[in-house]
Amino acid sequence: MRERFLTGYNDFVLPFVCGMIFVLIYCLVGLVRIILQLPAEDRKRFFISLVTPKTLVKNIKDIFLKCLIHVDIWKRNKLLGYMHSSIAFGWFMLIVVGHIEVMLYTSRLGLKALYYPIFFRYFVAETESTMKGSLIFFLMDFFLLVVLSGIALAIIKRVRSRLFGMRRTTNPSFLDLIGQYSLWSIFPLRLLAESFTADISGGSFLTKSLNYVFTEFLSNHANMLPAWWAYSCALGIFFFVLPFTRYMHIPTEILLIPFRNAGIKIVNARKGFAKAQVYSCPSCGLCIDACPMGVLKGNIKDTTVYLNRQIRRNNETRIEEISDKCLLCGKCTAICPVGVEGDKLRIAQRAVRKYNFGPDYSNIDVSEEIQRCNKFVTNQNNIVSSSDNEKVLYFGGCMTALTPAIMKATGSVLEKAGIEFEIMDKDGGICCGRPMFMAGRFAQAMQLVEKNTEIIMSSGADTLLLSCPICYKIFLEKYHLPGIEIIHHTEYFERLILSGRLKVRKEAVRYVYHDPCELGRGCGVYEQPRTVLSAAGELVEAAKNRKESICCGGSLGSLTLGFEKRKAMTENALNNLVADSPERIVTACPLCMSTFNRYADRPVEDIAMVLDRTAY
Amino acid sequence: MKENIVIVGGGIAGLEAAAQLLDLGYKPIIIEKSDHLGGHVADWNCLFPDMSPAKDVVSSLIARSAEANIFLNTEISFVNKLKDSYNIMLSNGISIITRILLMTTGFSLFDASKKEEYGYGIYDQVMTNKDLEHWFNTGDDKRINNSAMNAVGFVHCVGSRDEKARNPQCSKVCCITAIKQAIELKQKFPDAMVYCFYMDLRMFGKKYEDFYINAQRDYGIRFIRGRVSEVGENIDGRVIVKAEDTLSGKPVKVTLDLLVLMAGMVCNPDSTKVANMASLPIDSDGFLKSRDNVADIIESPKDGVFYAGACTGPKTVPETLAEARAAALKIYLYIKGLE
Amino acid sequence: MDFGFRISPSSAINLDKVNLEKFEELHRIEPDVYKCMACGSCSSTCPANRYSGMSIRKVILALQRGKEKEAVAMMRNCMLCGKCTMVCPRGINTRHLILSICRIYEEDVK
Repeated sequence: MRERFLTGYNDFVLPFVCGMIFVLIYCLVGLVRIILQLPAEDRKRFFISLVTPKTLVKNIKDIFLKCLIHVDIWKRNKLLGYMHSSIAFGWFMLIVVGHIEVMLYTSRLGLKALYYPIFFRYFVAETESTMKGSLIFFLMDFFLLVVLSGIALAIIKRVRSRLFGMRRTTNPSFLDLIGQYSLWSIFPLRLLAESFTADISGGSFLTKSLNYVFTEFLSNHANMLPAWWAYSCALGIFFFVLPFTRYMHIPTEILLIPFRNAGIKIVNARKGFAKAQVYSCPSCGLCIDACPMGVLKGNIKDTTVYLNRQIRRNNETRIEEISDKCLLCGKCTAICPVGVEGDKLRIAQRAVRKYNFGPDYSNIDVSEEIQRCNKFVTNQNNIVSSSDNEKVLYFGGCMTALTPAIMKATGSVLEKAGIEFEIMDKDGGICCGRPMFMAGRFAQAMQLVEKNTEIIMSSGADTLLLSCPICYKIFLEKYHLPGIEIIHHTEYFERLILSGRLKVRKEAVRYVYHDPCELGRGCGVYEQPRTVLSAAGELVEAAKNRKESICCGGSLGSLTLGFEKRKAMTENALNNLVADSPERIVTACPLCMSTFNRYADRPVEDIAMVLDRTAY
Repeated sequence: MKENIVIVGGGIAGLEAAAQLLDLGYKPIIIEKSDHLGGHVADWNCLFPDMSPAKDVVSSLIARSAEANIFLNTEISFVNKLKDSYNIMLSNGISIITRILLMTTGFSLFDASKKEEYGYGIYDQVMTNKDLEHWFNTGDDKRINNSAMNAVGFVHCVGSRDEKARNPQCSKVCCITAIKQAIELKQKFPDAMVYCFYMDLRMFGKKYEDFYINAQRDYGIRFIRGRVSEVGENIDGRVIVKAEDTLSGKPVKVTLDLLVLMAGMVCNPDSTKVANMASLPIDSDGFLKSRDNVADIIESPKDGVFYAGACTGPKTVPETLAEARAAALKIYLYIKGLE
Repeated sequence: MDFGFRISPSSAINLDKVNLEKFEELHRIEPDVYKCMACGSCSSTCPANRYSGMSIRKVILALQRGKEKEAVAMMRNCMLCGKCTMVCPRGINTRHLILSICRIYEEDVK
C-alpha cells in the first residue's frame, strides 16, 4: 500500500475527529465523577478488585460476553441476540482489524492515528505487492456485512417489533432518534464511501463488487469525496449526541461490569453505582413487556426504562411517581440484559424523600413478647431446655395474621412431623421491617429489625420458621441471628419430606405453583416448593414461571397503586397461571393467596394447606 | 289464553308472580335449577319482624302456584332472540317460544370463606347466617355445642359494603336478620352473652326499630360498633375476635363459643349468565339493570322481559312479594297491549 | 388576676376555628381520605395500636377536627406493615395516606 496524499489529511475527517475527542473527554470526566461519588469504602473495593486477578479475568470475560456478544439476549431470543451482537461485535472487529491494517501498512502515523484507522481506504492506494492484504480486506468487508445485517434487523425491529418477540418497545426521545438514524447511516455510508475508492485502495467481495456496479453510473472519482464527508458526518453526529442518548450505555456498561463484580451496592439514589446503572440502560424495552403493571396501558411509562430516562433528565415529579408506583416485584431486574436493578433504584429514590416526621420505636418494650415466647427457656437464667428435638420458633408475620388458614395448616403439619414449636406472634407481633424498608425508610426499618432480634434471640429457639416471603427476605438480608437458622416453610417442609419425618399421600390433583416475587426472585427459592408439590400431586407449570413469574398485583411494594387498579394485574397473573389447566393454584405467600383468591375461578391455597391435607 | 310466560327462578318472587298470573287466567312456566321451590326463604326458619315461620310462607306460595308448569332441576341452556319473541332451550331438552320472560333469579349468598381473616371453614366455631337457620330448622350442627354456649358473636356486613369482597353494596337485610337471630339464640341460651359487631345499624323497615329495642332492652344483646378484622383460635378451640369499639376508641377482644357471619347478598352468577344470553344489561352493582331504578324497577330495557325480587338488588321478603305482584300485573297489561 | 383556680379549656371542638388548610392539601393528594366510614377494621388489626394507640381511622378523624397533635402522636409507632390496607373495606390506600401525612403535617404543632 502506498499513501495517495502527501499530507495524509483531508477536511472531511474533522466531524469525526471532533466528535471522537468530545465523547472521549465526556466519558473520561463522567468516569472520574462516578468513581469520586462512590463511598470511600466502595471506591477502595473497586480499585482492589481491578488488580485482583480473579475479578480481572471475570471483568474481561463479562465485558466480552455481555457487551460484545450479548449472551443474555441470545438466551432470551436468538434473533434479538444476533441483532445486538452483530452490531456490537461486528463494529468492534472493524475497529480492531482497521487498526491492524493501519499498523501493517503505514509507518510514522503521528496525529493521523486519530482518523487513519477509520478512513484508511481514502488515503491509500493498493499496490501489486499486497497479496497478504486480501485476508485483511476480506475480514473488513465481512465484518461490515455483519454489521449491516444487524442494522437491517434493527430497522425491521423498529417497524415490526413483534417479529422479535417484543410486544412493546420504547418510545424513543428526539435525541435518541437522531442518534439512531446517525448510527444506522454510518455503515451504509461507509460501504458507499469505501466502494467508491475500492478500485484505488482495493477491497474485497463487498466493496470491490459494488465498485464495479458504481462505475457503470459514476465513473467520476470526484464524487467520492461527498460520500466520505457523509460517512464522517454520520460518525461525528453520532458521537456528539451519544452522551445524551441511550447509546451512552455502550461506554457506561464497560464501567458497570467491574463495579458489579467488585460487589458494590446502590447507596446514593443518583450518584455512583446508581448513576452507572441509569446510564447503562440501553432502552431496549425488555422491561416493558416484563412489567406486571404493563397490562394497563397507562402504566407503560412507569417501567424501569422510563425511570432511567427521567432520572437522566432530572424530572423529579415523574421520578417520584414512577418509583412510588412500582410493585417491586423485581422482574425487570431479573431480565435486564445489562443488570439495571429497577427495584433497588426505586427504593433508593424513595429513601431520599423528605418527611416532616417519622416513626420511632424506641418506646416499644418487648419484655411482654419475650415472656410469651418462653417455651424453650426453662428458668430465669435463660437456660435453654436440653431436649434434642429442634426448637422451632414460628413467625407468621402480619399478612399471615389475616390468613389464619396458613397459620393453622403450618401448625398442624409441624405437629404431624412431631416438631416442637412456638408461635412468636400469636397475639400480634412486631412487623419484620420489610414494608418499611420498601418505603425507603431504612433507619426505621432497622429499628424494627432490632426489636424482633431481641425477642428471637431470647427465645432459646434454634430455628426461625417463616411463612411469609416478605418477612423472609429481610430476615435473610438484614437480621443477624447467630445460632439460629432462618428458613421459609417451603424449604422446611421439603426437608421434612426428604428426611422422611413427614409422609405425603400423592393425590391425583393438578397443582400449579406460583412463585411469589419475594421468595423466588427475592430469595432464590424455586425448587423446594416444587419438590413438595410433586410429592402431593401432579405439578404443572405456568406459562411464565420461576424467574419470570408474574407478580400477583397485591405487592406491598407499590405505595400509590390503589386497590381497584391492581385488579387487571391480578387477572393477568391468574391467566398466566392457568395456562396448563391446573385444578388448584398453590402459592407460598399469604399476600399472593389473598390477592388471587379475590379473582380466581378455582381454589387458591398456600403450600402449607396442601401439605396439611396430604401429609400424615 | 295461549300466551307462554316463562318465569326464571322458583323462589318466592317466581311463585308469587305465578300465583297472580294463574289468578289472571294464564298458565306460566316456572324454571327452577334446584330440586325444590321457595329459594333462600325455604332454607330459613322464621321471618322478621313477626317471627312468622318461613315454612308457612313458602308452602302457601307453592299451593297457590301449583297449577303452573313447573320444571325442577332444570337450567336454561341458551336463549335465542327471535323477531318478537325468545326461544328458550332448557337443559332437559324442552324448548319454549315465549314473548314474555320474567326474571326472578334472586341473589346468591356471599361465600364467607372468601373473607379469609374470619376463618370460615377453618375454625370449628365459625358459621354463617344460613348455617344458623339450618340449625334452627334441624337442630343439627356440630359447631353448636348445647352444653357450652357462653358467648356468641354476630359479624355484620360480611361481604357487604366491602370493596375487597367486590361487593360495595349494603345487603339491606343482614342487620335485622342478625338481631332476629341474636334474639332467637338468646331465647335458646338465656345465659349466653350475645354480641353484635356492626358498622352501621340500618333499621329501615316496619317494626325493625322495635325489634332493635327489644334486643337491647329485653334480651340484653350487646352492640359493639366496630368491624371485626381478625379471628383467631385459642388452645381449647374457642375463637378470639378482635375489633375496635369505635365508640370508645379502644380495641376490644373477646373469646366466643360461636361466631356467626352475616353473609350478604351478591348477584346470582346464574342470573348474570341468563342475562348475558338474553342480552340484558347488568347494573354497576352487578345485579340486573332495570329500565329505571325509581319508576320502572320491574321492567328491563327490553320489551317483554320483566324482573321481580332480588335479581335487581337486595330485597326483603315483603318487597319481593310486592314486586312479584306488580310484575304479574305489568305482564297482564303487556299482553293486553299486544292483542 | 389569679383566683387560685382556672377554668379548664373547653374540650369542645369549634369547627369554626379549625384550620383545615393542611387537610385540604392532604385531600388533594389522597382523595380517598373522605371514603373512611369509621368501621375500625384498621385499628383492631394494627400491630402498632397497642404501643402508640395508632389507628388510621382516628388519625383521619382527628386531622379533620383540627387535633393534629393527637394524630401525629398516634402515628409514632406505625410500622407501615400494610395490614390496614388489606382489611379496609373501602379500599383506601392507607400506606400512602400515612406517608403523605408524614410529609404534610409536622411533629411540633401547637
